[in-house]
Amino acid sequence: MAAFPAQAGSALLLAALVLAACAAVLSFQAGAAGDALLARVGRRAYHAAAVAVLGSTAVLVAALLGHDFSLAYVTEHTDRALAWPLLVAALYGGQEGSLLYWTLAMSAVGAIALAAAAASGTRLAAYATGFLAAITCFFLVVLVFVASPFDILSVTPSDGLGLNPVLRDGGMLIHPPFLLAGFSSFAVPFSFALAALLAGRHDSAWIAQTRRVALLAWGLQGVGLTLGMWWAYHVLGWGGYWGWDPVENVALMPWLVTTAYLHSAQVQERRGQLRAWNLGLVILAFLLSVFGTFIVRSGILPSVHTFAVSPLGPWYFGFLGVAVVVSGALLAWRSGSLRSERPLEAAVSREGAFLAQNLLLVTLTAAILWGTVLPLVSGLFGSQLVVGPSYFERVGGPLFVLLLALLAVGPLVPWRRAGSAWRRLLRWPLGTAAATLAALLALGSRQPGALIALPLLAGGLATALLEYARGTRFARRRQGGRLQAAGRVAARNRRRYGAHLAHIGIIVAAAGIAGSHFWQQEQDVTLRPGEAATVAGYHLLYLGPEERVSGDHRNLVARLGLGGEVLEPARALYPSLGGQSLTRVAIRSNATQDLYVVLAGSEDGAASFHVFVNPMVTWIWAGAALLIVGVLLGNLGRIRPAPLRGAVPRPGLAEPARALP
Amino acid sequence: MIRWGVLAAVLAACVGYLALTATQGSAEYYQTIPEMRAHPAAGDVRVLGLVQDDVRRSEGGLHVDFTAGAGTDSMPVEYRGAVPDIFRPGVQVVVEGRLGADGVFHARQLQAKCPSRFTAAGR
Repeated sequence: MAAFPAQAGSALLLAALVLAACAAVLSFQAGAAGDALLARVGRRAYHAAAVAVLGSTAVLVAALLGHDFSLAYVTEHTDRALAWPLLVAALYGGQEGSLLYWTLAMSAVGAIALAAAAASGTRLAAYATGFLAAITCFFLVVLVFVASPFDILSVTPSDGLGLNPVLRDGGMLIHPPFLLAGFSSFAVPFSFALAALLAGRHDSAWIAQTRRVALLAWGLQGVGLTLGMWWAYHVLGWGGYWGWDPVENVALMPWLVTTAYLHSAQVQERRGQLRAWNLGLVILAFLLSVFGTFIVRSGILPSVHTFAVSPLGPWYFGFLGVAVVVSGALLAWRSGSLRSERPLEAAVSREGAFLAQNLLLVTLTAAILWGTVLPLVSGLFGSQLVVGPSYFERVGGPLFVLLLALLAVGPLVPWRRAGSAWRRLLRWPLGTAAATLAALLALGSRQPGALIALPLLAGGLATALLEYARGTRFARRRQGGRLQAAGRVAARNRRRYGAHLAHIGIIVAAAGIAGSHFWQQEQDVTLRPGEAATVAGYHLLYLGPEERVSGDHRNLVARLGLGGEVLEPARALYPSLGGQSLTRVAIRSNATQDLYVVLAGSEDGAASFHVFVNPMVTWIWAGAALLIVGVLLGNLGRIRPAPLRGAVPRPGLAEPARALP
Repeated sequence: MIRWGVLAAVLAACVGYLALTATQGSAEYYQTIPEMRAHPAAGDVRVLGLVQDDVRRSEGGLHVDFTAGAGTDSMPVEYRGAVPDIFRPGVQVVVEGRLGADGVFHARQLQAKCPSRFTAAGR
């Protein structure tokens, strides 16, 4: 009886594998024959596979919640003392479970995308199902034969091994699922790209299908990255949020490449250009996400994270190899017919701005990739070499500056061929940037990085606001009051104005990153009770230590007075876990800066504090939220399709910015 | 399109040059203790080791001395600064710094390897 969940879970996984394999075979056949009925059968088989994966996930979650320690996975990752949210989180906390969650996220996003794409042409939809089913098969083979979450222990223990306290945190509940879902979803646009290549559909049809799925993967990954930064900042206590560790880099790279794609896709939608490039970006994003998973699972790179070194490394490597060969072969085979209908007309045009942004993002990705794989490359020729944050800052810094400059100018440049009229608009971002520079200098800032980045960001903000103002003014010429007009314009061009809001989010977050990077202050102070110290204008009075017991740990709290408030940085000691201790950072945030106090240690009544003053960190979280809101507002629900490339805008529906010079 | 190819090539060349100089400027050897003894590097290195049982903290916890071991070899390490939470005997650490003439490794940075999994440490 105890083995029932294990058998049910394994059976469901096996069923999913068989169904996915059927879906792959049937769909490729349907695509080759152009058989709509067979394509539908293949799609149904894929949906059934997704349901089976969902079922086996439910079985595992039930086993985790029910403390079924006959399962090795449940024993290794939980114990009876854990609260239920953490029991659920253990689903993606371990190797096998996270693989199952990965497969679930991919097949769920895939099932929805395939259902939505059914109308886009039999062959395209069938091939997309085929590729996605084949990828799903790979993960199911690994789940069934190599790393099953349903392995049974020969002896059922009375309790499990528990969870590391570093990971017992709210951030840990939400950060990994988003990141894993984002990582896995890149498989869906990839399948559509390969399907378009195989079907010979290079028109915009596949772009329309792929863009929204890519946007979804990009959004999930973006939220996962932000939550990871938030968690590192609030829990780990080193005063920062990004360390250029390989694990962070491999999560960032597919996101950057997809950012590039989301922009260049518009060039194809509007102008029918950059087709091969767009396919290449979608394929690259997926390959990078598989490469990232390989890095994380194989543990071949030196990282602060200790990975579960597992037998999965070679599997991922083989899968990566197959994906590279298949997509490379398809791209080469179709390269002749992928030429653009017409070349770019002028370098100074919206298309040109998008292409320049793409080149910068891809170059940035290449530079990050080089810094990440350097230990592997150098390891082939002798001792391993590693680069630290200074490498990424020196190489990435100039590229970020160019991207920010482009963010300020690009949205103002008209499509096709820019006349000279748009240059008058440049006075707004330029003026704002100059004013910001003057203000920073007047305030006494001499930090060169900040003096470059912040004026550019202010210019970008001016550009985004200018776009709203121009749209509103144009609409008002027709009818109605200002607010009505603004609402009407925004509603009619949701994608455009959502994108501007997303740009504002990026600008706010980038300002936070620049501010906290260039203006961070830190100081170590050791105080006895009653003593005080002043750090960057904050007067801190040490009130004394206090010990509090809660559950399985003791908190050593050092109470610090700051004006009328009391800060309570602490260390939590877990005697049951080998005396492991955990920092509890005390953070006092406001709109301009965070006071961030870590209790470093205490001895003979004196306590040592590591005090950081991190300017503008809240801007990062606020900016990320704006970015997500902008993307959601711009893309939720049914969107009026963008005008077909080359089509003349109908008079009544002309977009304001296009009607202007 | 040729113009864009040229632009891409120029950008790639600039960034390639930048990446190369930045690599030369900031790359450090990542070694085990025996490797470090066999090939002493001129600059800072990063060394991976296991924290032994002799951790001594002083200055209110802002200074630690301990022995880092790897297999049969080991070296004394000295570090000033706040140590990571999970730092304690039995944990793998990466220390960044250089081996002094006194035979002690003076670490500028100390990172403890953090568990990526939800597994209990130290059992």
